[in-house]
Amino acid sequence: MAFFLQNVVNALQAGSFYALIALGYSMVYGVLLLFNFAHGDIFMVGAYVGFFVTTGALLLVSTLGLVALPGWVVLVLVILVAMLITAFVGVAVERIGYRPLRQAPRASAAITGLMIGIILETGNLALLGATRLSFPELIQTTTYTVGGVTLTNKRIMIVGVALLLMFALHQFVQRTKWGMAMRAMAYDFGVVPLMGVPLNSIAALTFALGSGLAAAAGILFSVAYPVLNPYMGITVGWKAFVAAIIGGRGSILGAALAGFLLGFIEIFVAVIFASTYRDLIAFSIILLILIFRPHGFFGEAHTSRLRL
Amino acid sequence: MKKVTISFIVMLLLTVGLAACGAAAPSGATDTIKIGINAPLTGDIPKVGEGTKYAAEMWLEDIKAAGGLDVGGKKYNVELVIEDNEAKAESATAVTTKLISQDEVLVMVGPQSSKQAVPAGEVANNLKTLMVSPWSTNPNTTLGRPYVFRTPFLDPFQGPVLVNFATKEFGATKAAVLYDVASDYPKGLAEFFKSAWEKLHGEGSVVAFESFTTNDTDFSAQLTKIKDSGAEVLFAPQYYNEVALIVQQARELGYEGPILGSDSWGSAELMNLCGDACKGLFFSTHYAAAGATGATKAFIDRYNEKYGYVPDDVGALTWDTMLLVQKAIQDCGKITGDIAVDRQCVRDAMANIKDFEGITGSMTFTEEGDPIKCAVIVKISDAGEFEFYKQVCPE
Amino acid sequence: MTAISSKLSTGKNDLSLLFKKLWAPFSLTPMLSWLCGALIAVLLEQTVGLYVAWTLGLPKIPVLFGVLIMLETPILFPSAVLYVLIIYILPVALIAWLTTSLANNLAGRLLDLQSWLAVLVHLALFYAVLHLWAEINDYRVLVVRLTLISIILTLSLNVVNGYMGEFSCSHPGFMALGAYGASVFTLALFTDDRTFGAPLLPAQLGVLMFPLSLIFGGVLAALGALIIAIPSFRTRGDYLAIISLAFMFIVKSLIENLDFVGGPRGLGGQPDWANLPTVFAWTAICIWITNNFVRSTLGKALNAVRDDETAADAMTVNTRQTKMVAFLFAAFWAGVAGGLFAHVLRYVNPGSFGLQKLAEILAMLYFGGLNSVVGSIVGAVSFNLVSEALRPLEIMKWIIIPVIFILVMIFRPTGLIAFTEFNVVNWIRPKNRIAE
Repeated sequence: MAFFLQNVVNALQAGSFYALIALGYSMVYGVLLLFNFAHGDIFMVGAYVGFFVTTGALLLVSTLGLVALPGWVVLVLVILVAMLITAFVGVAVERIGYRPLRQAPRASAAITGLMIGIILETGNLALLGATRLSFPELIQTTTYTVGGVTLTNKRIMIVGVALLLMFALHQFVQRTKWGMAMRAMAYDFGVVPLMGVPLNSIAALTFALGSGLAAAAGILFSVAYPVLNPYMGITVGWKAFVAAIIGGRGSILGAALAGFLLGFIEIFVAVIFASTYRDLIAFSIILLILIFRPHGFFGEAHTSRLRL
Repeated sequence: MKKVTISFIVMLLLTVGLAACGAAAPSGATDTIKIGINAPLTGDIPKVGEGTKYAAEMWLEDIKAAGGLDVGGKKYNVELVIEDNEAKAESATAVTTKLISQDEVLVMVGPQSSKQAVPAGEVANNLKTLMVSPWSTNPNTTLGRPYVFRTPFLDPFQGPVLVNFATKEFGATKAAVLYDVASDYPKGLAEFFKSAWEKLHGEGSVVAFESFTTNDTDFSAQLTKIKDSGAEVLFAPQYYNEVALIVQQARELGYEGPILGSDSWGSAELMNLCGDACKGLFFSTHYAAAGATGATKAFIDRYNEKYGYVPDDVGALTWDTMLLVQKAIQDCGKITGDIAVDRQCVRDAMANIKDFEGITGSMTFTEEGDPIKCAVIVKISDAGEFEFYKQVCPE
Repeated sequence: MTAISSKLSTGKNDLSLLFKKLWAPFSLTPMLSWLCGALIAVLLEQTVGLYVAWTLGLPKIPVLFGVLIMLETPILFPSAVLYVLIIYILPVALIAWLTTSLANNLAGRLLDLQSWLAVLVHLALFYAVLHLWAEINDYRVLVVRLTLISIILTLSLNVVNGYMGEFSCSHPGFMALGAYGASVFTLALFTDDRTFGAPLLPAQLGVLMFPLSLIFGGVLAALGALIIAIPSFRTRGDYLAIISLAFMFIVKSLIENLDFVGGPRGLGGQPDWANLPTVFAWTAICIWITNNFVRSTLGKALNAVRDDETAADAMTVNTRQTKMVAFLFAAFWAGVAGGLFAHVLRYVNPGSFGLQKLAEILAMLYFGGLNSVVGSIVGAVSFNLVSEALRPLEIMKWIIIPVIFILVMIFRPTGLIAFTEFNVVNWIRPKNRIAE
């Protein structure tokens, strides 16, 4: 039982990252019907921005001799600042790679996204060199053992912050005027702009929100796995993309659940079967899910797709 | 219109005629020895490419400082042709072909990982050019290829070394292995470790044989299983960036036993990434950086001063490879200028090298072009340095 | 705004005027003349190229039209340009211009005789040019072979992503199936290797049976495609993207776990059967068949499905069957490309068929242009040549290539040459006749 619960805890953590990243994919896909293939790399940028903000802050504190704030306060501040900066990166990506292609086939925009991703990766490599960075430890790890299950304060924090952010996003989309505009856009991309909803602003907002969440995911990821490299976003990004589609088009709840589901599938496949076959079995399960629920969990059957 | 045509023809004939009569091979080509470096500067493993490039450039500095490479009493200029293989198999083959047929290098050093070295070795062997891989451990890289050599020791040697060490040192009888199933170095080593362990302790004594896929960062499921299996020692033949995560997560999940590593741990970056969690662990490698003496120490210090970090095993192995290549060229004795003859001569000289004293150990090559060399067991000290613990040589 | 645009348009006019002026003498030049010119140029390079290069101060014949030399030693820039001018541009232009009327006459007669004969003559000439050009250097041969394989890959993906209008991500997976299928076929049957032991059939037979092994690889890939096709074509939407992506991961993971093909260690020792003529022949066949396929009734039905599936259904198109056939067709050719790839590198590794490969194939396809055979060829050729030519830039290469791609996509959102029909006869017709 403890063994099982331990793995539930493991899966919750792994799922949090997928869920947060999947939300960004899902929103862009929902509102603009685009596959934003640069999203995994925005996640990477977020982690790096977080790294530099943290080291900068720590340096500032030590040189000015200020009273050091508690680690968790610094972390919250870092997450907020990095979310803001990365949101701007996301908006810039939208402006350069997607807006000029608004009238183009959607797949073309997907390819520019892919290319922007490569630029972000290689640019990082060219600027910072090949040395991997180690994320500074802001919070001392404390381990609790409850009935044979090992928990750490970091794990609790990660899952907590992830859930909090998802809730905040849900509130934003459901309760605010901007959120309503986004939902309207997702409902009908063609007509809504004609009714006075500013298309470009909504698109920028969508990218900003998605990128902000990706940055938060990047920092939480670096807290859990403190090794940063320019290619860290690729695999996580593509897997989150899968989660976003399983969740159903534009469904925040769906993307979040699918992210956690992916975490559970990966962990439990490794636990139950030989871990050598993990990818094989995990993706076969996904294939089966899509065969039986081709529109994802919360997606409605609709007939749009990547034209051309 | 006619004028244009005529001037066209005249011009063409003139240049071609001039060229055909007056041209001779540019002189000075025979004064230069070109050495190709085939390294993954971009792609999955840029750090490996960087280490290769830096070590090779440091070697070139030495040659330049000496006024050139002395072969048979004559000084030759040396030129390094460094090419990026993007960590892709097809790109490594293209680079090899380019280096050999277009740049006409005398010797090629690299590619590093087996995924690129195996197909590149095929090309180099067909084009009869000496290729030395400083890092590839896959038997297929050199098997049946007289022109392909390597400098690291092979998995069938390293696996049993670690098994014997863990048995004696920790008194362990049950072991767990955690490795990357999609990468051939960890997988090969994991399998040799497993078979050697089971030979010693009986069938089923490897109680957990768990794997993940390249670029994974979460190993909690596998580690939970390993902890549950009651293993007394965990073997993780992984690259240092993954080691940092594996060790930290293992400790967080409450696995308290020793964790054992292979030569891929040997990077100064390991301690930056892993911190205190890795202190006190053991791994097998080519040389111990802390307390190194002589040439090894000189190399480490110089590299550290120049590039700001202690070199990885790739850097040290590339350095040895460059020196080996240098020795082979010098042993050959003369550069005729006929590239095919020179390549053959250098290859034969390479095969005849005996007891070469490199910084990663003494090397003599088998018929297959694999070195016979000793392994060192290193302990990570409390100061985070790699201290010499024990040496194991092949019998 | 108007001022800028008018300025832009005059600038464009100047350029196009210059181009028109230069083009004027060649307006009636048929393909045959160009090919003759190219043939003379490569013969010239074979005979005097080295001397010309030496006179100009170049160490060797510039391997990729001088681009490598320009980037490696910028001081030789003028020499490289001069070399290209003397060896390629001037002779081609001269011969093409001189032979225009003769070639028009000849091409006309050939075409009147038998159009397939005319096509074959042109193809043979083109191959001669390619072969002579590549022969100078092993590096050229390898680049040409890999480029031709890329053409097959891009073209086959175009059938799905372009003509059918879906978004498929599984091409690396199909390629892997083909590569391993063909490799196992040749290794087990015809070669004495470590993995499969003594050959079951005489090795001499192998070269003749090589097409069979490629077809075996292709069929294997098509069978894999069936796994995706059955569930994903029941419904519409973007789900093919995910299903195919999952499939790609599954194939990679499967091969990593199959120890009899080497797992992550890869499978090596394939015989060197995929030489330049073989790869060229397969590429030509692929282009021919694919072009006929997309121009057939089935191809038109495919376009109808893309534009409006409901309407197509109403017009008696069996949409599901159409999509299945096209998808399996594409997978088959990806498998063949994989088989050729394995025999060119003579080693395969599951790591070669991952996300990186996917990004490459997608880039080639969308760069060249959707729904266009010529576009796919242009995309594959330009991507391969650019990525080889920019090699000296090392890391910067992977910043410059994406920037070029983004710019192309912004200014030509559907790719360089999209939505065109490829009519061979139009290409090779004498230019004093009107196009069909």
